[in-house]
Amino acid sequence: MPDTFIDIQDVCFAYPDSSDTPAPASQSEQSFYDAESANAVDHVSLKIERGEHLAVLGRNGSGKSTLARLINGLEIPTAGSIWVDGKSTVSEADIWDIRRSCGMIFQNPDNQIVATTIEEDVAFGPENLGIPQPQLGVAVSQALAYVGLSDYARSAPSELSGGQKQKLAIAGIIAMQPACLIMDEATSMLDPLSRQAIIKLVRKLQQERGLTIINITHDMNEAVQADRVAVMQQGRLLMEGSPAQVFHQVETLQHLGLDVPVHTAISFYLGKHFKLSFPSGSLATPEAAEEQLRQSFRFLERPKDDGTAKTETLADQPRPQIKVEDVSYVYQAGLPNAKRALEHIDFTVKPGEFFGIMGHSGSGKSTLIQHLNGLLRLQSGSVNILDYDLRQVKDIRQLRRHIQLLFQYPEHQLFAETVWDDIAFGPRRMGFSETEIAENVKAAVQVVGVEESWLQRSPFELSGGEKRRVALAGILAMKPEILVLDEPAAGLDPAGREEILNYMRILSEAGTTVVLVSHNMDDLARLCDRILVLDHGRRLLLGTPAEIFSRQDLIEQGKLTLPASKAFLRRFQSACPQLNTDCFSVDAAVSELARFVQLKPAAREEVRQQQAQKDRRGGTTL
Amino acid sequence: MTFTLGNYYPGASLLHKLDPRTKILASLLLMVVLFMINQPLPLVIFGLFLAFMIAMSGVPFRLVLKSVRPVVFLAVFAWALNVFTTPDDHYWFSWSFLHASPQGFWVGLRMAVRLFFLVMATQLCLTLTTTPLEMADGIERLLRPLARLGFPSHELAMMMSIALRFVPTLADETDKIMKAQSSRGADYDTGGAIARARGLVSVLIPLFVSALKRADELATAMEARCYRGGEGRTRLHVLRFSNKDIGASLALLLVLALLLVLEYGLL
Repeated sequence: MPDTFIDIQDVCFAYPDSSDTPAPASQSEQSFYDAESANAVDHVSLKIERGEHLAVLGRNGSGKSTLARLINGLEIPTAGSIWVDGKSTVSEADIWDIRRSCGMIFQNPDNQIVATTIEEDVAFGPENLGIPQPQLGVAVSQALAYVGLSDYARSAPSELSGGQKQKLAIAGIIAMQPACLIMDEATSMLDPLSRQAIIKLVRKLQQERGLTIINITHDMNEAVQADRVAVMQQGRLLMEGSPAQVFHQVETLQHLGLDVPVHTAISFYLGKHFKLSFPSGSLATPEAAEEQLRQSFRFLERPKDDGTAKTETLADQPRPQIKVEDVSYVYQAGLPNAKRALEHIDFTVKPGEFFGIMGHSGSGKSTLIQHLNGLLRLQSGSVNILDYDLRQVKDIRQLRRHIQLLFQYPEHQLFAETVWDDIAFGPRRMGFSETEIAENVKAAVQVVGVEESWLQRSPFELSGGEKRRVALAGILAMKPEILVLDEPAAGLDPAGREEILNYMRILSEAGTTVVLVSHNMDDLARLCDRILVLDHGRRLLLGTPAEIFSRQDLIEQGKLTLPASKAFLRRFQSACPQLNTDCFSVDAAVSELARFVQLKPAAREEVRQQQAQKDRRGGTTL
Repeated sequence: MTFTLGNYYPGASLLHKLDPRTKILASLLLMVVLFMINQPLPLVIFGLFLAFMIAMSGVPFRLVLKSVRPVVFLAVFAWALNVFTTPDDHYWFSWSFLHASPQGFWVGLRMAVRLFFLVMATQLCLTLTTTPLEMADGIERLLRPLARLGFPSHELAMMMSIALRFVPTLADETDKIMKAQSSRGADYDTGGAIARARGLVSVLIPLFVSALKRADELATAMEARCYRGGEGRTRLHVLRFSNKDIGASLALLLVLALLLVLEYGLL
């Protein structure tokens, strides 16, 4: 018997005037050129059951966040109605009750903490409801205990990590005794470990307290854990169903710019290679996908492919462009709260190499890269960049011409009146001539696909993803030989992410040395020639992706996570020992598998039937 | 990056534990009395009382002394002005229209001492032993009666507390933006004042934009958590006068009464 908690009935919503209204807080993706689709939410009908875990997927600007704000009564539908637990969000009398029962967690952990101490922040909601002492104090301490922040009750918010801040936000909701938790891309600014922790916490809330969970996300690893997935595009509800059903639409989702789980994608494309479609939902989990593939395919004996030639050519290259030797760094050196950030780090980067730096939050990644262009002064050890010895460089700007650093969320550094001026800022400061500047800006703009028509606009009119591209162009316009990027794709949706990473690949192929800092193992594994793994300020490993991810011991200790494609391929190693599991992209994995499999007779029969069916259908429609 | 605002000195002394309202009112009273006394004996006794309070608070004496640094110039200036402008029967020496008078010397000295005492007493009672948050709370409660006249005391306190909350966040952000712009060739350390000021534009604009965005998001988050102004709100930590406050207030009143008696004699 379905017990509908939230009933969305044919809801439309348009921002009054998209040019001067702030876009949804979580992601200002209401850019000037997609403002033409007037409705941010367009005739959406959806019922959400009590205690259900619903994931809402969609690209930035697809109306997901607006939908969340509508449920919470932060916006009122322009047409249609929303009922939460039998109460309409239009009703003035019920709105506070709806907001209390539907707690909302936003994207930026910093921008939802109100108070100066942790416990006061948790108390903020209940205080607003007028809950008296001593119930208030009890609610606060119970909520803090539930999320595991009791030890921080009297600390300042600035002492917490991003993941802890989101836990604090959840505690603030729990203290209000909610019936529903809405997460508006609440994990998108967190590292993978914190993400997992938040999702675990949320699922615990669902199971133990029967909370309804609505998770608006880009991360399909989160979405597969939901009971149901809804996909939105341009304000419309496009698809809805169990994760197994929805993620089976591999090509449709990818066409929308969304991700599907790696094992589903590999199996799907392997099937497609042999013109075989699998039954809907049969590829949902890695186990199910393995089972399905074993059912349809026979595994063959083949000689091992020995084709990893790229590293060898690099080994011949002469002197390194970056040479870091025995670098250590201590923050607040000499004070009681001194913190060791780096300890005896050594590595070199060769010309043209695509070099990855990987590590969890607090592993010293950002401290390390700030050494590379002299933002942090060397305390011990040495750094050589090209011909510069950083211990002796007089004019640091000379060095920065050659090595450029792109920080996380670089869109926050835009400031000029026009996009053109902002991109030209760097080259100007570096003393390029005006004609050179014009040329460089043009070239940079082409690489990152910034349209000519944007150049005279204010950068603040652009959407988040567009701003990021402008920021990247501002770095490229200095024509650096070495490019260091800190999580360049953070917070973007899958298609935006892929786009940015693709620029990296293009630049690398054009000869630029790229140093990519990330905590995303999958991205690093498929892009990088070599990876440096940092752990608590120390060098844990340095090697090719294949070498790194063969370290079973470290994977078992939880210091490394196997890239999803390799993890999936390893399932077939027992069937064909020669299979090369060092394939870090879906394409590579599919072509590697395709060499080793053959359709079983039953599957071959199936292909014939599917083909016939398709022909017949094609015939009737024509 | 950790960041401490003001110069709160953590401790558990009586002075730390007093209700902020007591301390705010006491500071006001101390200020008033300090301007009413002028004779050496009451001033010396005030000084001794101040010394006693410092000792009791556990705040290192040099920290308290450091707090007068900003007013040293003002005190010396006032003192010099007094020395040269106070009329007297005889002068130590004269130069043009300036006459150094012994009377002026003493008047100026007492004035300077009172200024130092004033700063030290308020610093000790307020910033050194009271956290900024307690201050905001105390001010809100003291101003609350004015709310009936339409004075936004709750809003004022909320603004103060949010400002306090975001100081470390914005400090962090400033650091990040400066680093990002430095990487692009911006230079904040060399060049003349104008060049440097212009360089700061590349920091201030992004900072301003981000602060506005934060404000917008924070407002949404507060609304989502049912914030609708001060009416009907309860507080996790309610300020409550304790016996300590009563005791300390009585002691203070006694000392101040003694000072006034010494100054003006028994009426």
